[in-house]
Amino acid sequence: MLGMLLEGFGAVFTDPLSILMIIVGTSVGIVFGALPGLTTVAGLSMFLPITYAMSSGTGLSMLTAIYIGGMSGGLVSAILLNIPGTPSSIATCFDGSPMAKNGQAGRALGLAVFASLIGTAISLLFMVVLSPTLANLTIKFGPWEYFSVTVFALTLISSLTGKSIVKGLLSALFGMMFATVGLSPIDSAKRFTFGSLQLTSGFNLLAVLVGLYAISEVLSTAGSEQEKAQVREYKMRGLGFTLKDLKGQGINFVRSSLIGLGIGILPGIGGSTSNIIAYSVAKTSSKHPEKFGTGIPDGIIASEASNNASIGGAMIPLLTLGIPGDGATAILLGGFMLHGMQPGPLLFQSNGATVYQIFASMILSMIVMALVMYLGMRAIVKVLKVPANILLPLIVVLCAIGAYALNNRVFDMWGLILFGIIGLAMSKAGVPAPPFILGFILESAFETNLRRGLEYSNGNFQEVFTRPISAMFLVLAIVSLAATLYKQYKPKKATSEE
Amino acid sequence: MNKANKKELGVGIFFALLSIFYIVQSRNVSTFTPFGNRGLDSQSIPAMIGWLSIALSAILIVTTILKDRKEKKGTGGQNEQICDPDQVACIDPPKGAKLQGILQVVPLKLMLSLLFLFFYFLFYQRIGFILSSIFYLLSQSFLLTEKGKRKKWALFIILFSIGVSVLIYFIFTRYFTLFLPRGILG
Repeated sequence: MLGMLLEGFGAVFTDPLSILMIIVGTSVGIVFGALPGLTTVAGLSMFLPITYAMSSGTGLSMLTAIYIGGMSGGLVSAILLNIPGTPSSIATCFDGSPMAKNGQAGRALGLAVFASLIGTAISLLFMVVLSPTLANLTIKFGPWEYFSVTVFALTLISSLTGKSIVKGLLSALFGMMFATVGLSPIDSAKRFTFGSLQLTSGFNLLAVLVGLYAISEVLSTAGSEQEKAQVREYKMRGLGFTLKDLKGQGINFVRSSLIGLGIGILPGIGGSTSNIIAYSVAKTSSKHPEKFGTGIPDGIIASEASNNASIGGAMIPLLTLGIPGDGATAILLGGFMLHGMQPGPLLFQSNGATVYQIFASMILSMIVMALVMYLGMRAIVKVLKVPANILLPLIVVLCAIGAYALNNRVFDMWGLILFGIIGLAMSKAGVPAPPFILGFILESAFETNLRRGLEYSNGNFQEVFTRPISAMFLVLAIVSLAATLYKQYKPKKATSEE
Repeated sequence: MNKANKKELGVGIFFALLSIFYIVQSRNVSTFTPFGNRGLDSQSIPAMIGWLSIALSAILIVTTILKDRKEKKGTGGQNEQICDPDQVACIDPPKGAKLQGILQVVPLKLMLSLLFLFFYFLFYQRIGFILSSIFYLLSQSFLLTEKGKRKKWALFIILFSIGVSVLIYFIFTRYFTLFLPRGILG
């Protein structure tokens, strides 16, 4: 394996075009990730046709570089604009933005880039070394296992609810309601379409995320009489942070990276979910959960390490099973096929050299990403550092392009307004938005696997408890819920005793 | 009832009404069980979400009412002022107070921004990306610029709106092979 990897590095370093495309791809990815409304998926789909003119190794290296850059670039706007550049950096806003607000934007950026680097490194290590073993485990997953994983993820909502657990759960159910619009899974029955053909395909995740975060942010800024640009000032000397910031964060780095890796491996659940889950796990297991959301390194590290770790995770089922782990790997799957390669168990045998070239280029892209972000942060921030009266309308135009490009229809753009208003109303009413997102994302997996599992077991729900993996996740779900309830009940009891 | 409790109650009532509407609509969803009902159909999950949402809304409404009562009991009328009705004078609210109240909740700039956004999306396909974006960027940028600084910014905003719209169109359609509507310019 090591020999193959060295051969892969040899192929990359002896081809100047390949190195150039890795640098260009990573930089393009970072910019696409940093600009709200333009996501990694959009960047990948836009550059996919361009790679057609390149060799398979170079072209796919460029695409994976965009993937790594895009996953990391979202942290810039999440910290400096409080708008997640990509769905994968939603949780980075929770602590990154308050830290920047406290005048420590450079520290937040430095920590986030470092966490991204560590998360990517851990996941790529797993991808290269353990991919066949881990893929063998997920191939055994049936609907009950996926259902249990989804239930586990849904119970984590309770720790993201903020002050009121009821309002948080209502927010999650609100998100689930929107996810049920369109065709139902399994039997494709029309639900809540009100006779509209456009609603049959439901609401797109990108429209929901951009509307809820970007458009509502633009509207709220427009309504708050703020004149100056919302890009926060930053000063970054060296890496931006001190070794003191990393003290006691070892477990957080490893745990968040493993969460990202594990969630990335599961098809359909990618970085957009892993960052929220890793954040809530870090919060739940922290000795000082009340400090989360005020601008502490723990939250930034958890979110950024996990979302970047999902890169390697999502690549594992893609390469070994031909199953994309998230939207970005779905485009990458198209990239492989465009270059005449079929990802799956035979890929390592038929195109082993190219696969290891991609592995080598991903490792190189990870280093390039950190270098570009540390050395070129000034240039990246300049893109965002335009006055509010110019930046905000421009963001809307870019968001509109992103929404329109999904299906080349204006309907998805109306979704931006709808979810923009919803996001604004929720923020005014004190209803947290993250549970809404998680509810929206997980509803489909929850319903599909529950219904499929019941079909397989002739309506016998008890089967979910008889399968070891699904039973384990259900136990984890119960423990997670109990821990949150205990933590909420404990301070109340203490105060009442006082 | 204080402002915070009123807001909580409003949230509870909104979600309760939404849940009722959602449950009623979920009954209209068609179901297919060609091999017999061996589990859940397409109505089941929406119904479950709806009922859970109603239960949580009810909890929110009840706990808010109980919290309000507790707060009222807690203050024990300490803050209540005793007034002599004969000494109290009625003062008319100042002119435009109602409008000010509404604008505090929904600022004019926010309403106008929404309106611009609405028209931008409405004409996106009809008049095309370039023209609709120019009009949107012009109107939204001017709206967000401080009144006193609009003259100073005018030329820049006009050039920026035209330049950026054209540049974005060509970059995205030529180099990123993305389709953007040409509209009347096509």
